[in-house]
Amino acid sequence: MVNYIIRRLLLVPLLLFGVTILIFGMLQFLTPVERSALYVREIPKNERQIEGIILKYGLDKPLYVQYWRWLVGTTDQVTGERNGGILFGDFGWSRTGGQPVATLIKNRFPNTLDLTLWAVGPVILVGIWLGVQAAVHHNGFADQAGRIFSIVGTSFPTFVFGLLMLMIFYANLQWFPPGRLSTEASIVVNSESFKTYTSLLTIDSLLNGRFDIFIDTLRHMILPILTLSYISWATFLRVTRSSMLETLRQDYVTTARAKGLPERDVIYKHARPNAMISVITLAGFTVVGLMGGVVITETVFDYPGIGKAAAEAAGQLDVVTVLGFALFNGLILIVANVVVDILYAFVDPRVRLS
Amino acid sequence: MRKLFTLFSLLVIASLALAACGGADTAAPSTGGEEATQAPSTGGDGAATSGFTSKDPTTFVAVSFGEPDLLDPALDYETAGGEVLQNVYETLVTYKGNYLSEFEPLLAESWELSDDGTVYTFKLHQGVKFHDGADLTASDVAYSFVRGMLQGGGSSPQFLIIEPFWGVGTSDISEMVEVAQVFGLEALEDGVSTEEMDELPYELYDNVEAMKEVDSEILVGVCEALYSRFEVDDAAGTISMKLALPWAPFISTIAGYWSAAMDQDWVAANGGWDGSCETWQDFYAMQPENDPIYDIANGTGPFILDHWTPGEEIVLVRNEDYWREPAKLERVVLQNVGEWSTRFAMMQAGDADWVAVPPENRSQMDALVGETCNWDAALVDYVCEVTDETKPFRLTLGRSGNTRSDIFFNFNVANPDGSNTYLGSGKLDGNGIPTDFFKDIHVRKAFNYCFDWDTYIADIFNGEAIQSKSLAIEDMPGYNDDDPTYSFDLAKCEEEFKLADLDKDGIPAGEDPEGDIWTTGFRLSGTYNQGNTTRQTLVEMLSLNVNTVNDKFIIESVGLPWPAFLRSINAKLAPLFFVGWHEDIHDPHNWYVPYLVTFYANRQSIDPEIKAQFVPLVNAGVLESDPAARNEIYKELNQLVYDNAPGIIGVLSTSHGFMPRYVKGIQYNQNYSNFYYYPMYKE
Repeated sequence: MVNYIIRRLLLVPLLLFGVTILIFGMLQFLTPVERSALYVREIPKNERQIEGIILKYGLDKPLYVQYWRWLVGTTDQVTGERNGGILFGDFGWSRTGGQPVATLIKNRFPNTLDLTLWAVGPVILVGIWLGVQAAVHHNGFADQAGRIFSIVGTSFPTFVFGLLMLMIFYANLQWFPPGRLSTEASIVVNSESFKTYTSLLTIDSLLNGRFDIFIDTLRHMILPILTLSYISWATFLRVTRSSMLETLRQDYVTTARAKGLPERDVIYKHARPNAMISVITLAGFTVVGLMGGVVITETVFDYPGIGKAAAEAAGQLDVVTVLGFALFNGLILIVANVVVDILYAFVDPRVRLS
Repeated sequence: MRKLFTLFSLLVIASLALAACGGADTAAPSTGGEEATQAPSTGGDGAATSGFTSKDPTTFVAVSFGEPDLLDPALDYETAGGEVLQNVYETLVTYKGNYLSEFEPLLAESWELSDDGTVYTFKLHQGVKFHDGADLTASDVAYSFVRGMLQGGGSSPQFLIIEPFWGVGTSDISEMVEVAQVFGLEALEDGVSTEEMDELPYELYDNVEAMKEVDSEILVGVCEALYSRFEVDDAAGTISMKLALPWAPFISTIAGYWSAAMDQDWVAANGGWDGSCETWQDFYAMQPENDPIYDIANGTGPFILDHWTPGEEIVLVRNEDYWREPAKLERVVLQNVGEWSTRFAMMQAGDADWVAVPPENRSQMDALVGETCNWDAALVDYVCEVTDETKPFRLTLGRSGNTRSDIFFNFNVANPDGSNTYLGSGKLDGNGIPTDFFKDIHVRKAFNYCFDWDTYIADIFNGEAIQSKSLAIEDMPGYNDDDPTYSFDLAKCEEEFKLADLDKDGIPAGEDPEGDIWTTGFRLSGTYNQGNTTRQTLVEMLSLNVNTVNDKFIIESVGLPWPAFLRSINAKLAPLFFVGWHEDIHDPHNWYVPYLVTFYANRQSIDPEIKAQFVPLVNAGVLESDPAARNEIYKELNQLVYDNAPGIIGVLSTSHGFMPRYVKGIQYNQNYSNFYYYPMYKE
């Protein structure tokens, strides 16, 4: 088991190297002038601005030099200060975010993580529960309703559902506003009296003894959570249902029933754990998807997470920020894959033995 | 289980029912059905209140998209940051109400101009304090100007200030350093000619590393020469500025936030330049990533920067110790919400007082308008009339804007190794054009006559635009109703094409037995940046019209990704390109120079002989302070532009803005970046 985990962990840096090469390589299809234009928002009023940018970022240097600069940065000949270098956590300046990319990720990721932590329960647990119920009540009302629900859920575009929620619960009822905080709460959170412990607002608000901020934060998260849950439940329901149905047809389940075990034990202790193998993969990727930022949901609800920032950067061709996010997402994906692999090994002994 | 699904079904049904009931109209609670009978009022201030009320009358929430680049007034050069800076910092002078060309003192109590028109002396208000409590001094003002000019670089608006202090055509302090290197420090005092400026290597421009390596004597000398232009008396509270030449738009230039007063001690204490001539090069051409004050602010203005959470919001709070009467609003919140539907929902919920409305969504807002205001040029204000007492919004219409998209001809298209595909075959064989296609005046005139302004205005601007009479825009010297302009005329277009002589045999194309443009035809590419539907329509309209005149005339509309589009213009590859200009200051100099001398003129490779006709008039115009005399100079220039037709001058869209009717005290001045919140309040 330990060997299995070590082998998986050793792969992480290699995979990350591959991701950096891939991301960097894609950019090299553009000429230096075209790449320098990625740093310019409007037609520069001074003609020499483009040349200045090429010089500044070394865009005319050979590929390996640029890659090395990107990895380790450059050193100022006069002051001796280092500029850039992703290995030192310097991902460059985010033109769209108005701050260093690393700071942008540091500021935005906790918001996404906060949302993920609150969404993961409803999304995964309820989704699995719905799937189990549909399978247990095969062809019954719950199963039929579940099928209809999953078809509607998968065919209903997220942005349509999100906008519908926004119009009903915000514009009309004014229950759940978009954004992250109300202005009053935002002023408190940005004041010196509010201490930051975890950067997760729901937790920090409680640690600061500000239950009003906690409620305000939750109010802003309800609609994104509802939207994320709605679109994920349909998938979880279908996957869990089919996996459960297959498991329930296995001989050992029939044996368990023949032995006279209560139906509850048969389903929850014998069938469900075995049906979970395929669901774990889905759950793993769902969590990765949530942590990597859910672009549409965050955009519709103006939730300042990592997905919204990445979408803004991509929309304005902010190449430095896009590269930083791509790398960060790659890191999350790789780590999550390793975690899922390890979880597999725990759930299914065949995996670690092979 | 059944309970759960029943509940869910009920929720969905209820949601759909609510959604069906909801809609734009639900945002406007009815307060009675009587038609309004109020007499027209100006600026919307006298309008009746509607039932649509603000959640918090002390806070103004403006919701738009976009983020400041940085909050350093000397270096920021975009409107999102400009809006913050013009409310937090202050300049010596400012715009007078809605007027674009009239000014009033702000930090200055008064000012005087010397007889020779080169020395401005400002008397400062006493008792003005920065937000941190420090007193504003004349030295702070001088430091702010010097700092701006020394730190400028290509991404900043400081070229606007450099020019009056160093002469026509200058744009960056690096040029002064090179002048000192090439001609000696004395040349900074004596001045250099345009010809001498052409001898400069221009290698220091935006080159931070190279600037640090320049001989320290030169660097100190340039800085001291700049300081010497300012004479300061802190005790008397006066500051004099010595310009290189009499500069007509100087007051207009320093009314922008880029000339704001900063506290020297505060900048230094926060890691910025301390004002020493020994170190300025370390701060040259700073970008946000190395500007220590990029996200903090300390001005003298009516609002204090409370916080900026990038991507979310900027909150300004009222300066209670403001040197004038404190602002009426206690707080201004500038939120960044990219999605229109979300912004609209915020407006519906009463959480936003103003939202940015894209043109394609105007009809959604039009349905909520209860008061319509039309621009009255004579009054320099909107004249309003209540049309529906129950509806919450005020619509402002008819004021011409200060941004225009135009069409530019390239007189000498680059064609390295014959690889420029925008030229087609590169020859006049019906499948391409020669590189000097637009050198022929008749071709340029023909393109002008083939452009249909009326259809363009009707299709793209929904009728809300006016054809520009000249390069200058309304309400400035150089704009005259009787300026010569082209109009859509296919017969004249044909006539001009027949007069062209592309094969240079001295025989007009219409009569050339050996064939010329009229018989061979042409094919070229008109480039625009993908996603810009206005520019795309410009190309397509022109393409259709020239093809109507002669079906052998083909303009291919080519949408390019932004980097490729930029490259096609900068590398002079595009024979015909479509771009826009947004004025920095409301002065003709800000239009004529880029179009005829520098920015676009260079990218168009306008013939030196034609440019030589423009330059003396452009220079004379900026040095003439009498508006009537200036107008005469620019009138002459307009005739030259008409005769030479270096491009097709487009249209200026007119205003179509929305504001809740409870918002009062708005200054409708387009030269502000969005709103100046000091006089604004909510009823």
